[in-house]
Amino acid sequence: MSVGNSIPHDSGLGHVCGESVFIDDRAETRGEVHVGLVCSSIACGDLIEIDASEALRHPDCLGVFTAKDFVHKKWGTIVHDQPFLVEDKINYMSEPVCIVASRTRDSIEAIKHLVKLQEKAAAGIFTIQDARKNQSVIYRALKPFVQGNVDQALKMAPHKLTGTFTVGGQEHFYMESQAAVIYPLENGQLEIHSSSQHPSETQRTVAEALGLSLHQVVCVVKRMGGGFGGKESQAGPIAAYAALVAQKLKKPARLILTKDEDMKITGKRHPFQNEYEVAFDDDGKILGVKVLLQSDGGAYADLSASILDRAMFHFDGVYYLENVHIDAVCYRTNNHSNTAFRGFGGPQGNMTMESIIEDIAHFLKKDAAVVRLRNLYQGPNVKTPYGQNLENNMLPEIFRQLITTSEYEKRRVEIDKENLKKTGVLRGISITGTKFGIAFTARFLNQGNALVNLHLDGTVQVSTGATEMGQGVNTKIQQIVAHGFGIESGSVQVMTTSTEKNHNTSPTAASSGSDINGAAALKAVNKIKVNLIGLARKKFAGEVSSALKEYELEQNAETVPLDPNFIFQHGKVVELSTKKEISLKELISIAYQNRVSLGAYAHFKTGGLGFDKEKVEGKAFNYFTQGMAVSEVSVDEYTGEVKVLRVDLLMDLGRSINPGIDRGQVAGGFVQGMGWVTTENLFYDERRNLISHSPTTYKIPNIQDTPREFNIHFIENLNNDCNVYGSKAVGEPPLLLGSSVWTAVKHALSYRSKSNMVNLTSPATGEVVLMELTRLKRSP
Amino acid sequence: MTVSDYLRYQKGLTGTKVVCAEGDCGACTVLVSRMVNGKLGSYQSINSCISFMYLLDLCHLITVEGLKKEETLHPVQKAMLDSNGAQCGYCTPGFICAMAGLTEDAKNGKFILEEKRVKNYLTGNLCRCTGYDSIIQAGCSVNAEAAPSLRVLYQDEEIEKDLKSLSGQTVCLKGAQQEFCAPATLSEALTLKSVNVDLKLTSGATDLGVLSNKGKLKLLKTLTLNHVDELYSVKEDTSSLMVGAKASLTAVEEACRTLFPAFSNYLHIFASPQIKNAGTLIGNVVNASPIADTIPFLKVAEAEIGLSSVRGERVLNLNQFFKPGYKQLDLLPDELVTHVKIPKSHAKFKLYKVSTRKDLDISTVTFAVRFELVGDIIKNISFAFGGVGPSVLRMTELEKQAIGKKFEPALFKALALNLQSMITPLSDVRGSADYRQLLCHNLMLKFCDEVTAELGLQSAGISV
Repeated sequence: MSVGNSIPHDSGLGHVCGESVFIDDRAETRGEVHVGLVCSSIACGDLIEIDASEALRHPDCLGVFTAKDFVHKKWGTIVHDQPFLVEDKINYMSEPVCIVASRTRDSIEAIKHLVKLQEKAAAGIFTIQDARKNQSVIYRALKPFVQGNVDQALKMAPHKLTGTFTVGGQEHFYMESQAAVIYPLENGQLEIHSSSQHPSETQRTVAEALGLSLHQVVCVVKRMGGGFGGKESQAGPIAAYAALVAQKLKKPARLILTKDEDMKITGKRHPFQNEYEVAFDDDGKILGVKVLLQSDGGAYADLSASILDRAMFHFDGVYYLENVHIDAVCYRTNNHSNTAFRGFGGPQGNMTMESIIEDIAHFLKKDAAVVRLRNLYQGPNVKTPYGQNLENNMLPEIFRQLITTSEYEKRRVEIDKENLKKTGVLRGISITGTKFGIAFTARFLNQGNALVNLHLDGTVQVSTGATEMGQGVNTKIQQIVAHGFGIESGSVQVMTTSTEKNHNTSPTAASSGSDINGAAALKAVNKIKVNLIGLARKKFAGEVSSALKEYELEQNAETVPLDPNFIFQHGKVVELSTKKEISLKELISIAYQNRVSLGAYAHFKTGGLGFDKEKVEGKAFNYFTQGMAVSEVSVDEYTGEVKVLRVDLLMDLGRSINPGIDRGQVAGGFVQGMGWVTTENLFYDERRNLISHSPTTYKIPNIQDTPREFNIHFIENLNNDCNVYGSKAVGEPPLLLGSSVWTAVKHALSYRSKSNMVNLTSPATGEVVLMELTRLKRSP
Repeated sequence: MTVSDYLRYQKGLTGTKVVCAEGDCGACTVLVSRMVNGKLGSYQSINSCISFMYLLDLCHLITVEGLKKEETLHPVQKAMLDSNGAQCGYCTPGFICAMAGLTEDAKNGKFILEEKRVKNYLTGNLCRCTGYDSIIQAGCSVNAEAAPSLRVLYQDEEIEKDLKSLSGQTVCLKGAQQEFCAPATLSEALTLKSVNVDLKLTSGATDLGVLSNKGKLKLLKTLTLNHVDELYSVKEDTSSLMVGAKASLTAVEEACRTLFPAFSNYLHIFASPQIKNAGTLIGNVVNASPIADTIPFLKVAEAEIGLSSVRGERVLNLNQFFKPGYKQLDLLPDELVTHVKIPKSHAKFKLYKVSTRKDLDISTVTFAVRFELVGDIIKNISFAFGGVGPSVLRMTELEKQAIGKKFEPALFKALALNLQSMITPLSDVRGSADYRQLLCHNLMLKFCDEVTAELGLQSAGISV
C-alpha cells in the first residue's frame, strides 16, 4: 500500500537529471519582454521625480512604468497598505519605484541605470526601540493571553529574573529567486507562471493591480525552487510587475530577480525583542511569567499581525504556565516589510521561553534539563495560555526517550568535567522542544479543494491548490490518492497547480499543505469510489447492463459514505462479504460505458476550529506536532567560533505518509533553524542598505556546518485521528528545534560566568559569542 | 559571456542553474577537463556563472544533462534519487556535477569515498532544503568503482584528438568592444602585454567574474595564460617549491601536503573545490586583497615572486612586492607574474583564519606565524595579519620584540597587547573593529597556548 512508504519525490528524477522546469527555464517565446525593477536609494523620504528620458532612448528599452500605470496602487494580504511602486513616500531602502521593459535580458541593467530618481531623504525609524518611542505601531494584540494571576505570583515568588530576549531576522534564501512569466491571452486574459506559494492570491493581486476581473487571470505554479514562506504574500507583486508590462505591451513578459535584488527588496523573518519577568521556586518550577513580545514588522503590514499572533501562541513552548500574561505588539519601521518565514513567529516566541529556562537553570545552578522536565506539559497540566488543551500529549514520552537515547545525562556530567580543564574549547548541551499548533489561525484559510480524474487505463490525474516547493506535498497527495484507489503510486500523476482547476485556494503554508489538500484529494477519490462501489454491487449481484438498460446509480456520491464492505487494493475492487472481485480497470470501463462519472471535485474544511482573539477562547489548532532536540556544541574561547558536535532529534509525526520525505523535512528544517540562530546575520549599513545581500556575505549553513553526528528519529503515535491517514504536519515544527543549538551555546558560556546571567543575543555569530564571553570573564 | 548564460540561454541547457552569480552557491557547477601538455586533464568542477566562454578554449565541458547516458542514470543521480537528496531541485544539478567530480577522482584512485570526502567536495554547494543529511547519505552510498569513467563515457580520445589539432595556436579575438588574447607561449604573452598594457590578465576569473556579473567591472580587454602549458607546473627542488602562474589552488594544496602541511590544511578551508579548481595561487596574490587568505602565509614564508616582461625578469621578495596601502603592488604595467617560489625551511608554521562560517567564507581576520625555537628560546619568528588594515600586515616591530626571548605566556600576553596599537581594523559586514582587535589579541594567545601545549614547554592552560 502506498501510504506509509518512502517512495521517492515525484520530481526527483527530473531534479537529478536537470530536467525539471523552473520559471526561468521556460523557453523564451517570440517577442518576449524582459522586465527589471528600479528601486529607491534611500530608506525614508519623498520621491520627487522619476526621469526616464534617457532610459527610454536606449535602443532596447520598450517602456518605463510607474505607480500611475497601476489601476489599484496597493496590495497586501491582510490590509492593502503596500504600494506596488512608490507613489510619493519612500518607506524602505530598495523599495521598488519603477519598472523597465527591455527587448533583451542583457540590456536590463543598462536601462535601469539610465533611470534617474530624485529623492529627498528624511529621518527614518529602524529599530524596535525607536519605533516604540515613536509609538509607530502596525498591530497590537487584541487581548493578552492570561491565565492565573501573574502579578500575585511575581510578588510572592522566591526568585525572580527579568530580561530581554533579542533575536534577529532571517533571509529565506530560497535558491530560486522571485520569478514570474506572463503570457497575454485572448479577451484581455493573462496566464501567470509564478514561483508562488499562493496562486490564488497571486491571481487576485494581479487582477486588482491591473483592473481585471478574476476570470481573466489564471495563475499556474509548476514548482518553486524553495519558498519557506517568502513566496506566500510576496510572489503577488512580483507577478504584478511583469503582468503590467505584458498588459501594456501585449507581449509575454518575464521578471527574474537576481539574488542580490531579491534579498534587498523582499521581506524576511521578523526580528523580535521580548521583555519578560519570570518567577520561580527553588526547584525551577515557573510560578509566573509576564512577557511583552515586540516585533519589527518593517514598512508595511504584510502578514505581520498573524505572525505576531503565532508568536503569542508559541511563547509557552512545551511548558505549562499556570500564571501567565502574554502581550504583543508589532512595530512599523523603515525596514523591508517582514513576512512569513517557516515557523511564522512561532520560533521567536518559543525560543524566548527556552532562553528563560536556561537563565533559571544557571541562576539555580541546576541542569537545565531538570528545570525543563519540572515545567513540561504533563499529567493534567495541559492547558495552554490561550485556553486550548494540549490533547494527545506526547511530550513527556518524547522527553524521556530522547534523554535516554541521546545519553544526555552522561554527556552533561562529562561536559561539567571537561569545561573545568580550560583547554580553550568550551562545550555546552541543551534540550529544547516544540508543540507546534497546526492550522491557520485565520479559520477561513483552513479549506482546500481537489480535482481527481480517473482515466480509462486506470491511471489518475489529481489537481489541488497545493504548491510544490520541494517539501514533497505532491508526493504525499500522490500516495494518498494511490492508496485510496488501491493502485501503484506510479499510476497517479499530480498535475501542475492552476487556479483554473482549483480556485479560492489557501497558501501552501502553516505546514498544512498535505493536511488540507491531501484530505480534499481523498474526499474526491472517495466520491468516485462511491460510484464504483455502486456499480460493483450491481455487477456482483448479477444485474446486467445492455444497449437498452444501463446501470443507474440511485445514490448521491456527495452524501453516501464509503461502504466498508468494498475494498480497493492491488488494482482490484473486492466485496469482502462475498469475496467477489473485479479489476479496477474493468470497473472503470463499465462506469464509462454506463455514463457514470469518473471524475470528482471535492471541497474540504478542517473541522472544529474557531478562535476568538477578542475573548481569547476557542480552538485555535487542529492538533499539535511535537518534537524535541538535544544539541551539543563547542565554543572556541579565543575566537567565539561555534561547532555543532551532535544533534539528536525525536519527532512525533503521527503515522507518517512518507517517512523518507518527512525525514528530509526534519533535517532541513532543523538546519535552517540552526542557521538562523548561529551564522545568518543580516547586516545593514548606517543608511539601511542591506550589506549581506548574497551568499558571500550572508552565511546559510553549508555542508560542513551540519552536526558531526545527526540522529533523527520518529516516535510512534497512532492516535492522531484528526488528520488525513493519522499523519501530522511536518514543515515548520523542526525549524523551532534549531534553537537547541543556541541554548547549548548559552549553556557553554555559562561555565565562564561568575554571577552574571548570560546575555546572549541571536544569531550567536562568532563575534556575538566572543564579545559576550569576554564580557562575562571580565565582570566580577 | 558567462558559461552559464551560454548554456542556459544559447544552448537551452537549463539544468545548470544560477542563484548567486558569484561562485558562492554552486548551483551552476559543471565539470571541465582542460587540454594541457597535449592531454585532457581530469574532470574538475567549476562555477560556470563566473567563468567565461572564452576561458574554456581547449576544454571539454560536461553539464548535468550530459551525465545520464540514454536512459541510464549516472550512479550519483541514482544515489541522490534513492536518498531523497533532492527536494526543491534547484541546487540539485550543481550537487550532481560536484558529486560526479568526486566519484571520478575516487575512481581514479585518489582516495576512498567516505563522509569526510563527500563533505569536502560539496563544500561549495549550498542547499536550503535538505539540511544536507540526505545528500551526505547519497554521496556515501555511491560505488565509485562501479561508476562509469567520464573519459570512457565520452570517448575522450576522440575529443582529445580534436583539441590537439587546435592546440599550440595563439588565439586573438577582437569584437567591436571586446578584445581577447590567449597566447600559446609566454614570450608571445609578454609581447602582447608590452604592446597593449591595458590587457587585463584573467586566469580562473573567480574574482573578475564576480565583479563583472555585479556590474563593478567591464572586462573589455582580456589576456589569459591558459594556453601556456609550462605555467601549470608546481615543481619542488632542493630549496623551494615553485608554483607556476596557472597552477590551481587545488594543485597547490596537493603539492603542499607534505612540504607545507599547515598551508595545505589552510587551503582546505580556503574556498570551495569549484573555486580552487579554477582559481590560482598567483591570482590570489596579485589580487592583493587585505583579506586574501594565502598572503599572510606567503609573507611569513618569505616567498619570492617572479615577474617577466619583454625587458627581462625580476624576482622580488613578496614582502617587497606588496607596498603599503590598499592593493599597491610593485608590478609594472607590462609585467606578468610567472611564478611564486616558497623557500623550504626548518621553521614551523601556524595559520589561523576566523570567519562567520568556518568553510567557504571570506575571512574576518587571518594570522600567520613562522617560528623556530631553540629549546624554549625564540630563534626566529614572523607574524602577518590579514583583515586589520589596508593590506596584509607583516609585523616586523612585534617580531623584534620576540626574537631571542623565552617562549612563554608572559611574552605573548605583552605582544598581544602591543599589537593592538599597530593595527587599524575597520568595521564591516564581517565584524566590528573591536571584534577584530579582540581576535588578533586572542589569536596571538592561542598561538602561544597551542605551541606551549604541543611542545610540552610547560603546563598547558589557556591565557584568554
